[in-house]
Amino acid sequence: MRCFIERVVTNHDVTTDIKALIPDAGLRRRMSRVIKSAVSTAMETLGGVEGIASLDGIITATGWGCLADSERFLRNVIVDKEQLLNPTPFIQSTFNTVGGQIALLGHNHCYNVTYVNRSHSFEDALLDAMMRAEDGDSEHMLLGAFDEETPSQHRIMERMGAFRKVECGEGAMFAIVGAKRNERSIAEVTTLAFPTESLTRERVAELYATSEHARVIYNGYAEHGLFPTASALCFAEAVKLVADGTPEVVIYNEYFGATPTVIVVRCLA
Amino acid sequence: MGIVVTGVGVVSALGVGVERNLASLREGASGISAHPTLLKTSHHLPVGELALSNEELHELLGISPREHLSRTALLGILAVREALKGIDMSNPARVGLVSSTSVGGMDLTEHFFEEFIENEGAGRLRDVRMHDCAASTDAIAHYCGIKGYTTTLSTACSSAANAVITGAKLLKHNIVDIVVVGGSDALSAFTLNGFKSLMILDENPCRPFDEMRAGLNLGEGAGYIVLQREEEATNYICRLGGYANRNDAHHQTASSAEGNGAYMAMADAIAMAGIEPSAVDYINAHGTGTPNNDASESAAFVRLFGESVPPFSSTKGYTGHTLAAAGGIEAVFSVLAIKHSYRYANHNFSEPIVAYNLKPVTQFEEGAEVKCVLSNSFGFGGNCSSILFTR
Repeated sequence: MRCFIERVVTNHDVTTDIKALIPDAGLRRRMSRVIKSAVSTAMETLGGVEGIASLDGIITATGWGCLADSERFLRNVIVDKEQLLNPTPFIQSTFNTVGGQIALLGHNHCYNVTYVNRSHSFEDALLDAMMRAEDGDSEHMLLGAFDEETPSQHRIMERMGAFRKVECGEGAMFAIVGAKRNERSIAEVTTLAFPTESLTRERVAELYATSEHARVIYNGYAEHGLFPTASALCFAEAVKLVADGTPEVVIYNEYFGATPTVIVVRCLA
Repeated sequence: MGIVVTGVGVVSALGVGVERNLASLREGASGISAHPTLLKTSHHLPVGELALSNEELHELLGISPREHLSRTALLGILAVREALKGIDMSNPARVGLVSSTSVGGMDLTEHFFEEFIENEGAGRLRDVRMHDCAASTDAIAHYCGIKGYTTTLSTACSSAANAVITGAKLLKHNIVDIVVVGGSDALSAFTLNGFKSLMILDENPCRPFDEMRAGLNLGEGAGYIVLQREEEATNYICRLGGYANRNDAHHQTASSAEGNGAYMAMADAIAMAGIEPSAVDYINAHGTGTPNNDASESAAFVRLFGESVPPFSSTKGYTGHTLAAAGGIEAVFSVLAIKHSYRYANHNFSEPIVAYNLKPVTQFEEGAEVKCVLSNSFGFGGNCSSILFTR
């Protein structure tokens, strides 16, 4: 199984004015921070709302989902004693809100799914994209991952002792994934693996690298902070390295208490 | 390559297990009660609540209450254990799990949050440990001996149908040999208030596809089916003939009047199975009982089947709308419809929707052959998925 990457954009790469990316002012106003960040990253990846029409698969991943909206609604339920609640945060608390918003913005009826599997969410979404590519079900997909940090979540995870080694983080990443190589392809995903036990950096290189110049990004998630889809930012980094001439990048992530994942990104021969 | 269904497990307001659920459907006895008794809420609204507390569920499963599992996980373990009964999991099989949920561990988080918003140092951490969706999947895998690839997805009320689709692909790509697919969702104050705030809860027992329908009743439960490659299954209940996931792309919470997403999902699932729409013997509809869903789904039926809409019904008048679990519970009912040649009654129906004049099945039927069943699941975010089971 393999797939081709045409573009990757993280929330840090978004340079276009959000008003151009999400033209509907009312919609922008209702969107929470994470939805705004994820949808604008997606629109930057696609070159604007017009790009949505070309997609035949929208696959998103999030470990925590739309936390701020979930928290806001839950707080209102408790504080307002279940009376006269504003439905907007409830509607937007749904894990597939971002995927749904993208479909809605482009009136796109294609395959649309959201994986919510902790630190494997992004890899599971990538696996789905690769399966669809191989089956000929999708040619041109949008693959994305996002998570947000909130003060309450930060405090709770702090109490759990989660940040002893790695700071909390958040982010969004979107990529255009093609089933076939074309003139826009910049990298190829050749391997996606879910090892059942920890591997050392040396062992990762031994098992997965095919080029002697391969680079291993080992637990790179930690540089992006502790959030379940941090590995998606490592993926973006790997694609950029490959596009700039590194022949191969092996991404290994063993997130806080989870079994590892491996993604191999290779340059196009 | 053919995919077959080799096991089913279900828990709903009708009770624990396939036998209990089928007996209630046969008797026409709904699981909807006038108001919740276990769920802490001030709302006096009908719900499909399983009459077992979390403590009782732990006990029933032989899991120490000290494990303090979320209700979503407990319901899921019950259904998955039943689904896997009789399945040979040894024989170097890689057993996987594709689970889905929309509330995750919200039933416990709600307790935590009441104290936490007063004082950020308060609230027991064990009450938020299972907040995220994957926590229930992990617990299900752990307590059901599932050691292969596991994942979790969440596409609101279409979640479990999409779990079926992902599971089928994992089999096709030889990532698993046996895969348990479905969904679990517990009642929570979060979702009850959420749907209340959207003003789509009926204050009376829900009336899907009725002209006077006034909304849905929330329910809880879990439904899972076991999928295998046909050539490796020694015997099976039915085939997974087709499936499709499409998006309505109309509104974040409402369905289009033309039923675009529903129409495309049903048409694609039927096309994948290589059959004519006329071959469908029964549709287990999404049929939530909201004015919007049932009109939209009816429009899609008429577009696809013309004047010969197959016998259809919504079983949500018995179970309530169990959100992410709905597609799982209804997949179980659909598989059993083929196994026993059943068609379920649509509870509380009296007058057809004037614009479509479609009359659902109103009496439990058995005897007439049921060889091909379509199961619909639609959700927020425009997600529309249809699953087709064939004999």
